[in-house]
Amino acid sequence: MGLDPRAKLYLLLLANLMLFFHVGLVTQIVMVVLFLTPLAAAGRLRMAARFAVLYAALTALGMLDPDAMGVPQLHVVAALAVGVSMMLPCFMTGAYAFTTTSASAFVCAMRRMRVPETVVIPCVVIIRFFPTILPDYRRIREAMALRGIASGAFAWIRHPAQSLEYVVVPLLMNATTVAQDLSVAALTKGLGRKGAHTSRTAIRMRAADWVMMSAATAPLVLDIAGVI
Amino acid sequence: MADVVSRTALDMREVSFRYDAGDAADAAEVPPDAFADARQTASPPALDDASLRLAPGECVVLCGGSGCGKTTLTRVANGLIPSFFHGVFTGSCLTCGLDTTQVPIDRLTPLTGSVFQNPKTQYFNANSTDELAFPCENMGMETAEINRRVSEVAERFGVADLLERDVLRLSGGQRQRIAMAAANMLEPRLVVLDEPTSNLDSSAIDDMRLLVARMKADGVAVLVAEHRLAWLNGVADRYVVFKSGRIVRSCAADEFLALSPDTVAGMGLRALDLEPYRQRVRGLVASEAASGRGADGASGVPLLRTRDLVIGHDRRRTGLRFGLAGAGRANGRDHRGVQDRSMPFRRAVDDLTLYRGQIVGLMGRNGAGKTTLVRTLTGLMRPLSGQIELDGRVANAHALTRAGFMVMQDVNYQLFSASVREELMLGFDEDDADARTRCDSILDELDLTAFADRHPMSLSGGQKQRVAIGSALMCGKDLIVLDEPTSGLDRLHMEQVGRLLRRLADSGRTLLVVTHDEELAAGWCDRIVMLSDQR
Amino acid sequence: MTAPNAPVTTPTTPSSEAESPDTRAKRGLATADLITIGVFSALYFVMVCIATLVSTLFTGGFGSIFLPAIAALISGPVFMLLDARLRKFGGITVMGLVIGLFLFVSGHFALSFVASIVFPLAADLIARAGAYRNKVLLLVSYVVFSYGLTGPILPLWFMKDAYVASLEARGKDAAYIDGVFANINMGTFVLAMVAILVCALIGGWFGQRLMRKHFVKAGIA
Repeated sequence: MGLDPRAKLYLLLLANLMLFFHVGLVTQIVMVVLFLTPLAAAGRLRMAARFAVLYAALTALGMLDPDAMGVPQLHVVAALAVGVSMMLPCFMTGAYAFTTTSASAFVCAMRRMRVPETVVIPCVVIIRFFPTILPDYRRIREAMALRGIASGAFAWIRHPAQSLEYVVVPLLMNATTVAQDLSVAALTKGLGRKGAHTSRTAIRMRAADWVMMSAATAPLVLDIAGVI
Repeated sequence: MADVVSRTALDMREVSFRYDAGDAADAAEVPPDAFADARQTASPPALDDASLRLAPGECVVLCGGSGCGKTTLTRVANGLIPSFFHGVFTGSCLTCGLDTTQVPIDRLTPLTGSVFQNPKTQYFNANSTDELAFPCENMGMETAEINRRVSEVAERFGVADLLERDVLRLSGGQRQRIAMAAANMLEPRLVVLDEPTSNLDSSAIDDMRLLVARMKADGVAVLVAEHRLAWLNGVADRYVVFKSGRIVRSCAADEFLALSPDTVAGMGLRALDLEPYRQRVRGLVASEAASGRGADGASGVPLLRTRDLVIGHDRRRTGLRFGLAGAGRANGRDHRGVQDRSMPFRRAVDDLTLYRGQIVGLMGRNGAGKTTLVRTLTGLMRPLSGQIELDGRVANAHALTRAGFMVMQDVNYQLFSASVREELMLGFDEDDADARTRCDSILDELDLTAFADRHPMSLSGGQKQRVAIGSALMCGKDLIVLDEPTSGLDRLHMEQVGRLLRRLADSGRTLLVVTHDEELAAGWCDRIVMLSDQR
Repeated sequence: MTAPNAPVTTPTTPSSEAESPDTRAKRGLATADLITIGVFSALYFVMVCIATLVSTLFTGGFGSIFLPAIAALISGPVFMLLDARLRKFGGITVMGLVIGLFLFVSGHFALSFVASIVFPLAADLIARAGAYRNKVLLLVSYVVFSYGLTGPILPLWFMKDAYVASLEARGKDAAYIDGVFANINMGTFVLAMVAILVCALIGGWFGQRLMRKHFVKAGIA
């Protein structure tokens, strides 16, 4: 039972606002717990646990007192830790949105939010085409190995431009074919039709969505208002 | 009378069509060997004065060599001409009563479904259920109605077990079944199939026959453009033969099927009855088994010999998955035993010996491990256990990659240079006079001299295949593996490939051909190794 | 809905919209164009992922600082071929926008979205001024486009502030850290921006070279 994609986007936005407003440590911890809850509830327990451990470790590192330890250089490490731990909430909500939303729900949410087809269609195509690129790349590397040209990892360092050319040219040639074939298939299935396009996935803002959204909003508002 | 008109699925009268110069950038419909010239000068008419009518529930097969106009006719019927492919059109075409030149293609969408040749590029959604729902979503149907239709059509077309799957992980045959189901989602009155089986094995083709029969029973008119004709026996009602854009023969199924094999071959068509070919394949397989894997008849040291080979991969290949969730069930093999490429796979292979001068066919169902075997033999994968000997000595993967070559099914991935000559000279010194002479003689041997300065990607599929073979010969490879070299080829080009293989074998190379094409296997292979199903 | 053989009942299309199929050519982006943009955006996204990986490898925790530069170095062919295939206004903008959207959804900073719109839009306008054929303008356009990826770097400039704030919250003195980061911040900023310029010029030139050598000759561009 997951949240509505729009609620997920809202969480993502909150995480960004946190970054922007420099919330205090307490607020940050509360928000992280709130962000990890739906991730765990969606069955991504291991991912949630990893994020929690990482966040805890970085926060601890940021709490170091380099001056007291007499190693001022450690400030750089501590600063980095604080910086990354600040960005973690964005990655948490991002990972949640990315791994628990089906393509269909994502597209449906975009259309509900009145995102124009000019953006929706390329997004669908990216989701469709992106996973095919790695297998294609492997085929190309194999073909290069059979020809004895620029194979092996070192080739990338010794002849970077040449290697890039060997890989990119077939990839792009393939891309133009795929673009044409996809267009033909999509046109016969009415993708270009004017008027509303619906979805097989019903998305609806439920009580859980509203609860989650307000629960996550509260600490941020309180922090910004200076209460926490 | 009006009723008759509205019930006619397709009514095409005196249609002629000539592609615009730019739009002919699509090798499918220009005679392959005249491709370049067609681009520079005005293209010849792709369709010339063609008339055709289809009644509901009727199945008409369009046949003829590559570039004969049959694909163009399907594009006129489903409105892709003039919506996507542009050119000069004369005549009239009414599809389900709508004038295709007057209405936008969206109006035709609910009335016609289309299935295309390449299972890799015609699905629009990463998820199989999304693909089925896609046409309904585009028509703006209610969610409940979409889902009702998805399950109803999936049931009717036997693809219920393929729902909620990642299309990338389905086999070609499974993808084509999804494509057939998707084409029927809007309950069309006409379904257009453009060479739907060119990439499929024989059991997947049998599935296609059942699906066509299913559609006919539902009263859907079916228009099929095809090279491989045998699978349509029994479901086709009428055959229409094309030549250079013109309809040269149109006759009822029983009349057409009664034609002698020679007459059919004379028209440049593939066999109507595969039984004689299958018999010969069975014979070769049997003699292979009896002779202890091809030990007889050949002399000298074998080029390649395997011992106790076990092939496959243990680790689960995760690959680069796009985050967005949704793709479900990953249960290794589905109930038909088709291999899921992402799961561990393992099988033993009977010892195999390859001699110089032979063409050896490698056949077997999808998922039997043919591709895994040839990838192991060319050193692209390591065997799980067992040995491979090259010229009598145990060879590692590296040595195998140096000695062998594979012409991939998608040959586009193995051409890297800006001209055919450079492609062959890749890795050689331009000033090396010896290499240049060899290059010239190989170009000559493969009939590529005329194209030496052309970009490989501007050539036809068959020519690209020959360029890839040429690059292998240039590197002095002894073992040349071809993966499905004749998929999607008409009779003429299939025989051309066969003759080329023969010539290469006669000059001392070893050829291993992975193929589903019984006509190629029976006609040109010296031996056939059948990779049995294994669970 | 209807039985297979029932009379035609196409969903209502207002007659004003029922255009003849052949008129779609010149007006704006057609469905086929959007699909082309999608395919090339996917390739560009792969390039961005590779750039992220390489940049993280070289710069450790400062992950994305050289992301735009490395992406600019390798994405030239994708950009140039998209322009040649499309030759219409909107392609570059939509590609930048969609990539920004995917970066946002995968957890990158929301403000990066602004850069993902402004720079590609400017790049699109520049390329249009040369009708998507003028080599120099295309190269300039590519350089501008490459700055569209600067968004993911922005949080780096929040980092120091956050650490200083956390030190102050604990009642510590931030003089040391201020000293160290004053140099790093300004220096890296200039370095990163110049790197983008140089890499985009090289990448764009490489892309145009491949266009001439391969795609024009093969009749694809």
